[in-house]
Amino acid sequence: MSDFSYYSGIPSFYMMIGIAMIAILIFLVGMYLNMQKWGGGSASHFLKIFLKSINHEKLGHHKRQSLVSTIILDILLQRRILRRSPFRWVMHMLIFVGWIGMFIFSMIFAVFEVLHEIGIGQINLVETRHSLDFGNEVLGYMLLIGLVIAIARRLAISDVVKRTQMFDWVLVLGTLIITITGFMAEGFRPDAIAGAWTFLGNDVEIAKFLALFHVAISLLFCIAYIPYSKYMHMLAAPMVILVNGGGE
Amino acid sequence: MADEKEPRPVIPKGEPYIKTDVINPTFMMQYDACTRCGECDKWCPVLDAKDGDRKYSPMDKISRFRTFMGQSYGLKAKIFGPKRLDEDDIQDFADAFFHCSTCGVCASVCPAGINTVDMYEATRQQLVMRDNGPYGKTVMFPKLIGEYRNPYLKDQKQRLDWIPDDVEIAEEADVAYFAGCTAGFNQQVLGVCTARVLNHLNVPFIYLGEEETCCSSAIIRTGQPHKGDIPYINAKHNVEALEARGVKKVMFACAGCYRVATIDWPKQLGRKPNFEVVHVADLLADLIQQGKIEWKKSFDNKIITYHDPCHLGRHCGVYETPRIVLDNLPGLKFVEMDRIKELQRCCGAGGGVKAGISDLALDIASERIRDAQAINADILSSCCPFCRRNIGDGRDNVYDQQGSTNFDLRDNPENAMQVEDMIVLVAELMGLSTKIKSQEEEDKKAGVEAAAPKHLKDL
Repeated sequence: MSDFSYYSGIPSFYMMIGIAMIAILIFLVGMYLNMQKWGGGSASHFLKIFLKSINHEKLGHHKRQSLVSTIILDILLQRRILRRSPFRWVMHMLIFVGWIGMFIFSMIFAVFEVLHEIGIGQINLVETRHSLDFGNEVLGYMLLIGLVIAIARRLAISDVVKRTQMFDWVLVLGTLIITITGFMAEGFRPDAIAGAWTFLGNDVEIAKFLALFHVAISLLFCIAYIPYSKYMHMLAAPMVILVNGGGE
Repeated sequence: MADEKEPRPVIPKGEPYIKTDVINPTFMMQYDACTRCGECDKWCPVLDAKDGDRKYSPMDKISRFRTFMGQSYGLKAKIFGPKRLDEDDIQDFADAFFHCSTCGVCASVCPAGINTVDMYEATRQQLVMRDNGPYGKTVMFPKLIGEYRNPYLKDQKQRLDWIPDDVEIAEEADVAYFAGCTAGFNQQVLGVCTARVLNHLNVPFIYLGEEETCCSSAIIRTGQPHKGDIPYINAKHNVEALEARGVKKVMFACAGCYRVATIDWPKQLGRKPNFEVVHVADLLADLIQQGKIEWKKSFDNKIITYHDPCHLGRHCGVYETPRIVLDNLPGLKFVEMDRIKELQRCCGAGGGVKAGISDLALDIASERIRDAQAINADILSSCCPFCRRNIGDGRDNVYDQQGSTNFDLRDNPENAMQVEDMIVLVAELMGLSTKIKSQEEEDKKAGVEAAAPKHLKDL
């Protein structure tokens, strides 16, 4: 069980930190390049214009609503999608809440791991991890259901099939692989909670490998890859909504 | 388009093929915000008219430009240098990009809230700057408007020619009427009716006349504002001339000019004008609600519907006041068509499409006529001279197509759907003449007495 003291299950804490650092670095380089591209060669010019635009008075039809309303109604609750298609809204919210929720949980646990590693506070990592199990399970299934709907749409609805490109497939299939490996890594663990994918069996070596694989591709695909892929919309779309003042 | 032009200069190695210097950084970001959900495709009137040809899909246009940008400024481009883009591919993209009326329905439905209209106009300008646009005859707009100060090759002195003898224009007043080039030169009935209605309602107004210059909408919409800086020059001239006359309100009956005054003038000048911009529908709706308008004529139980001009509705948010006016016209039953207000189907005239790609404009307008036919409308009204003209052409096109089977129409042409501007209907029902000056002069010469329109009855 000692190998599973850590949430991630990776034998070496430093390996995880190393991969995370690389992922964050690749992400930051990508974001810098994107901002440089948007700013006509200058990332700082982009940031200046972006920040100015958030408070700029809108001309014409759409009046700028309050920042709080924009963040809650348009970015978090995504009412523009709801207005167009409740079905797509359900799908997107399942993916959005599942993804963001698991990201936040992972970050919280990573902080505990770091604190534990450097010896700050008396942290029982096993108990902490178990306290997050139920939430992770719910969020994981939300993400999985959302992705299954997204894939089914892209395979079954003729309009959607026609306009789907590899650019779109990479995102959903990549996220699906991460989600499934997460469930599998959890299922193989000796201390897996009931209801998780325990039917897979109990194999420490497979669990270790899958945990490492899951964390590595999560960091590389869900963080490092963001600025270079369709994932970019996760950051760009809220920024655009802020610039354009929100509203239905 | 490419084969009609001089060969382009060779782009030095290491230079990106497409520059982005006139595209606002936040517009550049918007290209990366597209989630490729395809909502815009469902509503795009151009894609509809092009039978779903993906080349004209707004979603795919965004994807193509994003790809060009990635190839020019992405990670690989930073390491190995910008990719050499195929000029034919860029031209093909540009041609598709100009097949857009910039109606903005894609922006209305975009879950990411992408402001496609401004983004497209800036991108169009960038394409024009590298000689990939505009499309067709619209290339003439800057030259015509720069030289003549209107797109109709008319002398500025002729700006006053539309004014009939009975119209009274004040020397000083709180209100100015900005007629615009189309009402002043090309569809004078709109200018005449607006002026007579204002006179009838005792709203004194001034008119800049020879001092009025084109709003330059056609130049801005087709991505050519940099050519001679004409939109800025004209905005400055018009705004300063109106301010010098001390007016408090400037009245518009043209949706295109109204859009420019509301959105583009402040952008061009970096400040808001010292007067209020008002559409004539706002004034009329206000007076109707106060019970201050007395109708003299009535239609005979006809069905009327309203087409929201993109520039007035989606771009500026004026949806209700034209409806209030039309709903109160006597003898008319107001019925809504499919696709209205922010989801309205564009008539197809905007964004340089009518001038540059007239067959596309006609196909889109024909769809709008079919929307009106679906509710059995007798009158399709709007508040925009370009919608009036293009939807009128669309009606003729649809009737041509239906002519062989539509015996009622062939035998009774008076049953044809009337496409008319709101201000003309208002003038008619107020019992005012809708004849333009030249018609009145011809009637006078021929000794013809003005007769009341047959399709109206007295109240």
